[in-house]
Amino acid sequence: MLEIRSRPARLLLQLLLTLMALPFLFPLWVMVRVAISGQGARTNFAAVLSQPLIGAFFRNSLILAAGSIAIAYACTMLASFALAKLRLPGREVYFYVILAGLTFPTVALTVPLFVSFEKVGLFNTYLAVFIPIAGLVLPFNVLIARGFIRELPNELFEAARVDGCGSAKTFWYLLLPLTGPLSAVIVVNTFLAALNEYLLPLLFLQQADKQPLTLLPSFFASEYGSDQTKIAASLIVIALPTILVYIGAQRFFERGFTGGSFK
Amino acid sequence: MVPAIVLIGFVVYYAIAYTIYTSTLDWNGLTPEATSVGLQNYIKLFNDPVFWESLRHMVIYGLAIPVNMFLGLLFAVLLHTHTVRFKVVYKVIIFIPVILAPAVMAPVFREMLSPDGEVNMLLDTLGLGRFAHAWLADPSTALPALMVIFVWNWTGINFLIYYAGLTVLDPSVFEAARVDGAGNARIFVSLIIPMTKGSSYTLLALSLIGLLKTFDVPYLVTGGGPAHTTEFLGTYLYSQSITNFKIGYGSALTIVMIVLSLVLTVWQLRRYRTAGVV
Repeated sequence: MLEIRSRPARLLLQLLLTLMALPFLFPLWVMVRVAISGQGARTNFAAVLSQPLIGAFFRNSLILAAGSIAIAYACTMLASFALAKLRLPGREVYFYVILAGLTFPTVALTVPLFVSFEKVGLFNTYLAVFIPIAGLVLPFNVLIARGFIRELPNELFEAARVDGCGSAKTFWYLLLPLTGPLSAVIVVNTFLAALNEYLLPLLFLQQADKQPLTLLPSFFASEYGSDQTKIAASLIVIALPTILVYIGAQRFFERGFTGGSFK
Repeated sequence: MVPAIVLIGFVVYYAIAYTIYTSTLDWNGLTPEATSVGLQNYIKLFNDPVFWESLRHMVIYGLAIPVNMFLGLLFAVLLHTHTVRFKVVYKVIIFIPVILAPAVMAPVFREMLSPDGEVNMLLDTLGLGRFAHAWLADPSTALPALMVIFVWNWTGINFLIYYAGLTVLDPSVFEAARVDGAGNARIFVSLIIPMTKGSSYTLLALSLIGLLKTFDVPYLVTGGGPAHTTEFLGTYLYSQSITNFKIGYGSALTIVMIVLSLVLTVWQLRRYRTAGVV
């Protein structure tokens, strides 16, 4: 694209990029700086990690992520298969009905969900959090998945039909094996949404031993009062796994965000 | 098909229907007694200065979107230059903010923007100590501070989408332009910007929807304060319905928000359609 050949220009460009990138590191630097001040890194992290509930917070986040992924994946794949390859009356209508949910803000769900969960006794259960999360990520997932599945050659699906496969069998034996990269994207998308969700667990999981990691900072805030250093240490403990997973699965994260552009 | 429709039906459409119903009530959400007040809540809403203020804040906040897009594009173009080293490092650095939970970063922002926080410390070291400030407590800087956080937060996505968009461009176009004597600046303005129009529209639409949904960051960093100066539609409806138990009024705010979202979606879908994506 751009051509920068001379040595000084190359160095200048590298310097410019570094200067542009530094502000993005600043908050992370602040986080680390605070966490290692006060009584020192060792004491702060030891205090955080010796919290009896910390394991539960991690476990709960994983449960929420797994639950959201299971529901969202099943619904996304079934719906996208139908929307892309089956002859379904009113197919486009269904698609837009789902897609309209794309803009729906989580805050807008709080009141109706609160009332209905209370009625059916789902309050303080994981279900109360991962059902709405799955519902909220569905539109974007379907948008990506439908595009991907539509690009798969029709001949494959016709061949399957000629060979006597029904829709269910085609879905199971033909579609699922063909959608490996797509599945990774959907899983990563949903995983991230579930892991970072703050409001739904705040409202629907009031018991400390059921809460996920996003509620850990406020838990520590009430535990340590104004001891910022321990709170910062707890933030690092929460952020680190996400960062590591991201670095490990970078490709899928990036595909997840760029949506259909990996055709 | 059925599971998806049931899920979205319950989570989204049932919620909308229920909210329309509660928006006509005067109800605290706890006791069973609710009085029907018709359209009173909506009338109140249009006369509520805080509602208009929150819309104004969202418009101002939206000014960060072009900044974000420009930064994203700049990063994308610079990282597409093949003489640059350690590309992955830069990519990871600007993308990490996207994946971290706002709930995790909010305490950090409160700390670094506080009167004796790291931002003021940095200003001091640079000899700019007289600009030191209680960034979040001062009504005139609280919203700009949130805008900076917004840019920090989302440049990564803008970068990524432009980066993917640039990958599919035909390199021979740039070679031809260079043969014709175009410099780097010229190529950026006359070729790259027009050729990434599709990505720009996608990003603009996504950002506007994101803007409307904004909740976590202002709620956790400033709580809408000081004195409502960082109030957004999301934080306002939350504090009305959940904190103040004004379910009816909160629902009316929600419905207004949904209508705005729908207008945006329809606009976006039409764009996608003309672009042939959907």
